[in-house]
Amino acid sequence: MLLDVKDVSLSLKREGKYSKILDQVSFHVNNGETVGIVGESGCGKSMTALSLMRLLPDKAKLDGEIRLEDELISSYSNRKMQKIRGNQASMIFQDPLTSLNPLHTVGKQIEESLLLHTSLSKQERRKRVIKLLNDVGLPRADELIDEYPHQLSGGMRQRIMIAMAMACEPKLLICDEPTTALDVTVQAQILELMNELKERTRMGIIMITHDLGVVAEVCDRVIVMYAGKVVETAPVEELFENPKHPYTKGLMQSIPKLGIRKQMLGSIAGTVPSPENMPAGCRFADRCSQAMDVCKTNVPQMTQVKKNHKTACWLYENKGVKKDAAAGSEQPKTAFYL
Amino acid sequence: MPLLEVNNLKQHFISKKGFLSEKRVVKAVDGVSLKVEKGKTLGVVGESGCGKSSLGRSILRLVQPTEGSVKFQGKEVTDLNALEMKKLRREMQIVFQDPYASLNPRSTIREILEAPLKIHNVGNKKERKKVIEELVERIGIRKDQLNNYPHEFSGGQRQRIGIARALALNPKLIVADEPVSALDVSVQSQVLNLMLELQQEMDLSYLFISHDLSVVQHISDQVAVMYLGKIVEFGDVERIYNHPMHPYTQALLSALPIPDPKQKRERIILEGDLPSPINPPSGCPFHTRCPFATKECKEVVPALEEKTDNHFAACIHI
Repeated sequence: MLLDVKDVSLSLKREGKYSKILDQVSFHVNNGETVGIVGESGCGKSMTALSLMRLLPDKAKLDGEIRLEDELISSYSNRKMQKIRGNQASMIFQDPLTSLNPLHTVGKQIEESLLLHTSLSKQERRKRVIKLLNDVGLPRADELIDEYPHQLSGGMRQRIMIAMAMACEPKLLICDEPTTALDVTVQAQILELMNELKERTRMGIIMITHDLGVVAEVCDRVIVMYAGKVVETAPVEELFENPKHPYTKGLMQSIPKLGIRKQMLGSIAGTVPSPENMPAGCRFADRCSQAMDVCKTNVPQMTQVKKNHKTACWLYENKGVKKDAAAGSEQPKTAFYL
Repeated sequence: MPLLEVNNLKQHFISKKGFLSEKRVVKAVDGVSLKVEKGKTLGVVGESGCGKSSLGRSILRLVQPTEGSVKFQGKEVTDLNALEMKKLRREMQIVFQDPYASLNPRSTIREILEAPLKIHNVGNKKERKKVIEELVERIGIRKDQLNNYPHEFSGGQRQRIGIARALALNPKLIVADEPVSALDVSVQSQVLNLMLELQQEMDLSYLFISHDLSVVQHISDQVAVMYLGKIVEFGDVERIYNHPMHPYTQALLSALPIPDPKQKRERIILEGDLPSPINPPSGCPFHTRCPFATKECKEVVPALEEKTDNHFAACIHI
């Protein structure tokens, strides 16, 4: 197992009060596997990624265990974490324009992690950067290396971001909506490149997206998040064929499908609850058409419904078995303040 | 007679960098012709920078078109004076992409919805109140929320308010410029459902501008595919999606990720990005990325021609 995330909870301070953004998020990633995290805006998918890399705002409270290659990185100091970032684990962000520094050349920005994490000489670094640019499919790498981000198109900038992330051959690559800001034809290029890189390097990828199409194309396994909690996880084919959680079903039904026209789409009534006003029971209960009494008061736990397919919903929970499991499991294992 | 008929519409912008540098012309819309029938939806798809939003704006004369004709119910729109144009605007309205930026944060929903009625002197205060209350009820917002401000609503609700504002004057045509792009999928479907219902009830016509191919497929009767300011393919939605003719449309459709992991397809991966509209390629605008481009494509500008029954494409090789 490459990455093991166990019961990670995150609270952020807002207007003087802590509110829980993530609640006991658990999942794992294997080598050479792409795991998708899907959910709508505000469900905590980006915060999950930032928690893994520990790129959190001040006064964030993070509980739980994060293990990367059996190292408990959640107990690492900030300084030790810096050795991980960009080295064993790196991240690609959504908007390639705002995540590149406009004042530095492309080469300098890609070189930075080599400078930090390796002992290569200046010439060796330059050679390596040119190779990286070639690897991500950019033309005329030896000129491009001295150009600035504004001289490049959106697709090229995203390739630069990928080259930066790949510089130290990470074991884990976290991609936060890497193609959302791109056009479909460019998105297709980037997704193909990422699949290619994965095949070549056997790294594990976490793909955060709201686009179920992208998930279907590149992921092996999917985690569905809702309001800061994991509500379902399954291999990609199983999830699309046989979604269990009413939220996942609702999501699937609300996407327009090719070949079906002008019919009413499924939709989910209501809106996501805010972190300050989380319902006591299942967080989806207020919007769920199948909600029962128990859903309003008790938190459902992840239950196995099939091999490798788990969901947190009272419809599938063994009746009466773990009813008050939620109350007993609120024991933070490690806590630190940043 | 079609409700809207656009002929050879051009929208050029002049971009001047610095004091002495020469003027450069951005041909955002470069000779577009299309028709929208009553009660139907024409979808306009294309990637960013292809000129689809400029097309919507110049049809409504929110920017003055450089050249060409726009006929609404048989009447030429481009040379109307301000007063006549104001009258005509009751018939053609717009819904914007960003529901956060398109509603005035300092006005209540009641004020926002009343504005178009006031501008066009519709009814007295009491009548207007009734119209507004019917409107919000139709879009699924409670009457007692009318005195709330935009920030108190979610993105989906705000977009529905934007639609209600466009509907307040009972228009015949709505230009919807990426109306669901800023919304999450479950909310997007609510807005699409509302638009479809309203179309049936009020016999509305939509010019639906979007980069999202599956959304356009869902809502449109006919589709126009734009590339660098030109329509490269036009036809009924089934024809375009099942038998795309133009290489660009083919690549665009094959690039669309399909939410079904079992469906593995042959992809046409295009090289490079959209060229800049300031310096568009000679000949066919797509020839720089086209897998089938020949020498001729660099020289000849292909015209949009009817290739089969009601199916138009601009490519010399079809």
